[in-house]
Amino acid sequence: MSLERKDEHDQKAWMEERDLTPVEKQYLIVLMWLDKRLRIVDYLEILEDMYYKINLQMPKSHTEQYNLDNKFWYWYPLYALGSFSTLAYVVAAISGALLGFYYAPAASGAAGNPTVAYNSITFIMTEMNFGFMLRSIHRWSAQVMTAAVFLHMLRVYFTGAYKEPRELNWLIGIVLISLTMVFGYTGYLLPWDQLAYWAGTIGVNMSLSIPLVGEWVAQLLFGGFTLTQATLQRMYILHVFFLPFVVTTIIAIHIGIVWMQGIAEPH
Amino acid sequence: MPEDTDTDSNDADTRADGAGPGIVPPDDETPTWSERKERTEGLARLTYEYFERSRREDQDLRQQSSYVERDVLGFPTWPHEMIRNLALVSFFVGMIIFLAATLPPHLEPPANSSKTPAVILPDWYLYWSFGLLKLGFLNPDLSLLGGQKLMADRTYGVLANLVVVGFVAIVPFLNKGSARRPVEQPFWAAVGMSGVVFAITIAILSVKNLMPMSTGLLQDLTFLLPFVGGFITYAVLKAMREGYMFNLNRRYYRLRPPK
Repeated sequence: MSLERKDEHDQKAWMEERDLTPVEKQYLIVLMWLDKRLRIVDYLEILEDMYYKINLQMPKSHTEQYNLDNKFWYWYPLYALGSFSTLAYVVAAISGALLGFYYAPAASGAAGNPTVAYNSITFIMTEMNFGFMLRSIHRWSAQVMTAAVFLHMLRVYFTGAYKEPRELNWLIGIVLISLTMVFGYTGYLLPWDQLAYWAGTIGVNMSLSIPLVGEWVAQLLFGGFTLTQATLQRMYILHVFFLPFVVTTIIAIHIGIVWMQGIAEPH
Repeated sequence: MPEDTDTDSNDADTRADGAGPGIVPPDDETPTWSERKERTEGLARLTYEYFERSRREDQDLRQQSSYVERDVLGFPTWPHEMIRNLALVSFFVGMIIFLAATLPPHLEPPANSSKTPAVILPDWYLYWSFGLLKLGFLNPDLSLLGGQKLMADRTYGVLANLVVVGFVAIVPFLNKGSARRPVEQPFWAAVGMSGVVFAITIAILSVKNLMPMSTGLLQDLTFLLPFVGGFITYAVLKAMREGYMFNLNRRYYRLRPPK
């Protein structure tokens, strides 16, 4: 009887006694290294579950089961609008991240002179390779997303898809469509050209008109009662930091609920 | 801490988790989780009872159902569905790039606070909201206050926005029932259509200085056209409904002939 602890789980010996190909051996070494540190085995069930989910066969839909395709085929493209808006959101996120490398949210300079922000947009559009195209793609994906979101809402309304048990998702959808418009508005202000400036002025006046909390809202969103550097900076942070996190999270919840409840198919 | 648990009840040994001498391995007398749940009180008990009921309801529904699971019910997610999705995604992204290449945006002159442009507009999707800000003519001036208005016109416009969004939000709680298609619920389809028309007319009202007609007429049309649209939708759907129900019944009785 030796004092040395006997290893019942001598994985190395077990591995050597087996006749493994180099690929299998390498795989096992990596797997064991990770498992010793992270106990992957505890999560094996989840991984297995995911594996089977990937190979899942989609159940027959209501329309397939009752052979209603001949009656409803013209509805089907309208059922893609939600995915389409998500897709446009992804395109906007990618192109926006690339634009963010070149844009600076600084409104310094006298009135009427190009500001730093305006100059960076000019640089993107005239000097940067594919910069004009990049801005164009960002703008158009935003436009397409907004349009798709509106049409998506109409589709949900006219097919009665908001009814029980989907009321909660309808409410989340209204929050999302509002945030999408805020997204668009904050982005509209970033070039700091004439359109942006005067749209911003209207925005400040609108928030000042809210009863009771108007001045507070104007301070919070626009950083004051007139348009200054603070306004541009706030719009920038809302557009590239705050809203992306919030909207992405809510989109994930929105789609997750659709996944759990199933698509409200035509009946 | 251990003294507290010992004094207040005699079955303290069954609740030894995390207190007292330490973690005790379960024996025959250790209650199972369902037994523990049954013994709880108050809201926890209520939750447990409700979930038991809903599970039973689920089971009953499944047993009553005539739905038969088959071996292959549709296409596998991978690769069939995924390849189809990839094709659709490429098509849509291609469409965005095509739009971006053919209709590039342009840049206005730099911001100038001392020069107001002739036309101030937000992006197109905010026209409806912008139009609601110009509803000051509907803001009643009360004779009680000596012809003064209860609130400023622009406050009125901001509140109109809240009313519109609020109405859209409560639709699921107003329109209930199992009807789904517009033909099955002509009234709500008409409400929706008048909403769509109103969104367009109010957007036009927001650019009233560009419209070649008098402001009064434009304001009247803004509220008249939605009703016209709604009535037409209602009439058309009511007429369609007869034929639609006939067809539906025919299909139904063909599939399940009366005995």
